[in-house]
Amino acid sequence: MPCASLLPLAHLGHWLWVFYVLPVLIVVLGILWSTIAARRRERGEAGESDDGG
Amino acid sequence: MSWLPFAHALVARRDLPIPAWLFAWGASVVLIVSFFALSAAWRTPRLERSSWRPLGPRLSRALLGPPTQVLCGAAGVSLLGVAIYAGLRGTEAPDRNFALTFLFVTCWLGFPFLSALLGDVFRPFNPWRALGRAAGAGFAAIAGQPALHLRYPRRLGRWPAAIGLLAVVWLEVVYGGSGGVAVGLSPEPVAVAALLYSGYTLAMMALFGVEAWCENGEVFSVYFGMFSRLGWLEARDGRLGRRRPLAASTRWATVPGSIAVVVASISSTSFDGGQEGAFKGAIESATGWLEGLGFGALTATRLADTAFMVLCFAGIALVYLLGVRGMRTVRRAPSFAKLRDGFAHTLIPIALGYLVAHYFSLFVFQEQAQFTYLLSDPLGTAHTDLFGTASSGIDFKLLSENAIWYVQVGALVVGHVLGLTLAHDRALAYWPDYREATRSQYWMLAVMVAFTCFGLYLLSAGNG
Repeated sequence: MPCASLLPLAHLGHWLWVFYVLPVLIVVLGILWSTIAARRRERGEAGESDDGG
Repeated sequence: MSWLPFAHALVARRDLPIPAWLFAWGASVVLIVSFFALSAAWRTPRLERSSWRPLGPRLSRALLGPPTQVLCGAAGVSLLGVAIYAGLRGTEAPDRNFALTFLFVTCWLGFPFLSALLGDVFRPFNPWRALGRAAGAGFAAIAGQPALHLRYPRRLGRWPAAIGLLAVVWLEVVYGGSGGVAVGLSPEPVAVAALLYSGYTLAMMALFGVEAWCENGEVFSVYFGMFSRLGWLEARDGRLGRRRPLAASTRWATVPGSIAVVVASISSTSFDGGQEGAFKGAIESATGWLEGLGFGALTATRLADTAFMVLCFAGIALVYLLGVRGMRTVRRAPSFAKLRDGFAHTLIPIALGYLVAHYFSLFVFQEQAQFTYLLSDPLGTAHTDLFGTASSGIDFKLLSENAIWYVQVGALVVGHVLGLTLAHDRALAYWPDYREATRSQYWMLAVMVAFTCFGLYLLSAGNG
């Protein structure tokens, strides 16, 4: 069976929007990762100061 | 007439060096780099303080004195009169009638572009303000005292202008776009709408006062005035002065309904851009579904278009509010309401970027018509040639397809970088620690990247 009949290449254009969503997703994931890391760090610092006190 | 890109200025591109979606990635990288550059180099708020400095008194007198005001006001009233007359008495062919190009291109697009550069240039030319002030002066001369007005309800704020803005765009792209005319509206409904709007505006000015209504409810004053906050000229107490560009926008969103105005601006441009491109399939499906429910074809089209316009408004508002919600998670964040109102002005350059990106080529092409054959033959009857230019045409080769695309991408990127700059400056005013301010702006960065990619997707889908 030829590949062209298996791959819906004619409809590839319908999925081009994915390429426009990806940068947004990457930025949002980066923000979430950074926020979680900052929270963990803050919690760790708070825990250390409690132990020291 | 189908060749005339009246609804929005999108043309086909064929020979870009890279796929269109890569421009969205490139634009996102530019935004991220700008964000970190701002974080590193901009650590105190610079736009919050008033930076107005008066220009020479002679220049102020020449530009703001009563003779100039009367002349500008008379010019505004006369041109509105010509547009209404052309709409009522002129040809039904939209591209040959002065009314449509003058109102929807020269004024609707020209004033935002000019205001963003210079300041509030619409104010002296505002025909309704001129008429209202003349009526007020006449009343005072006859009655021996100035007219009394109701106090404008503060809670109402700019909501009448936001609703009016959506109504104007609805008239152009929904009512006109689905009226079976390829280029949108026919001139007569535009003239009737202008007459109705004039009556409504003058009545509101009589109720609340000319300046109060222009500040809050008069659609065009509020809309063009919003862009004027980016410009560098400002009149205060009869003196013309210069200020730091962008700085006046920081004091714009202090009135309720301001967010609705700027969101209405972005969403209406988005809808206009997507109507024949990105949203076309979905609008057609919704139209078919409504026809299945028993609505006529025209009503179904208008209902579907209206629903998508409202969805665009809700979507843009939601993305902005999510960004605000994200900022709230940062330590020592102000209240949600304060953040929501405090960052609304950061959307003004984005609204301008969207406007330039979507309508730049339409403006360049249609202004050739405006200042040649439409000026010589305003009614489009082919019997008049006032300036000898009635037989001129539009040179569509003035802009290449690639040049239009690069202007579109450039406008979107610059608009969003300016938005980021405004947001960063405001965050520094709200968070004393610049590291927390920077962290709060991660969320606005996401908002800006989302709006940039969405804008480029609309343009590429419309162009494709």
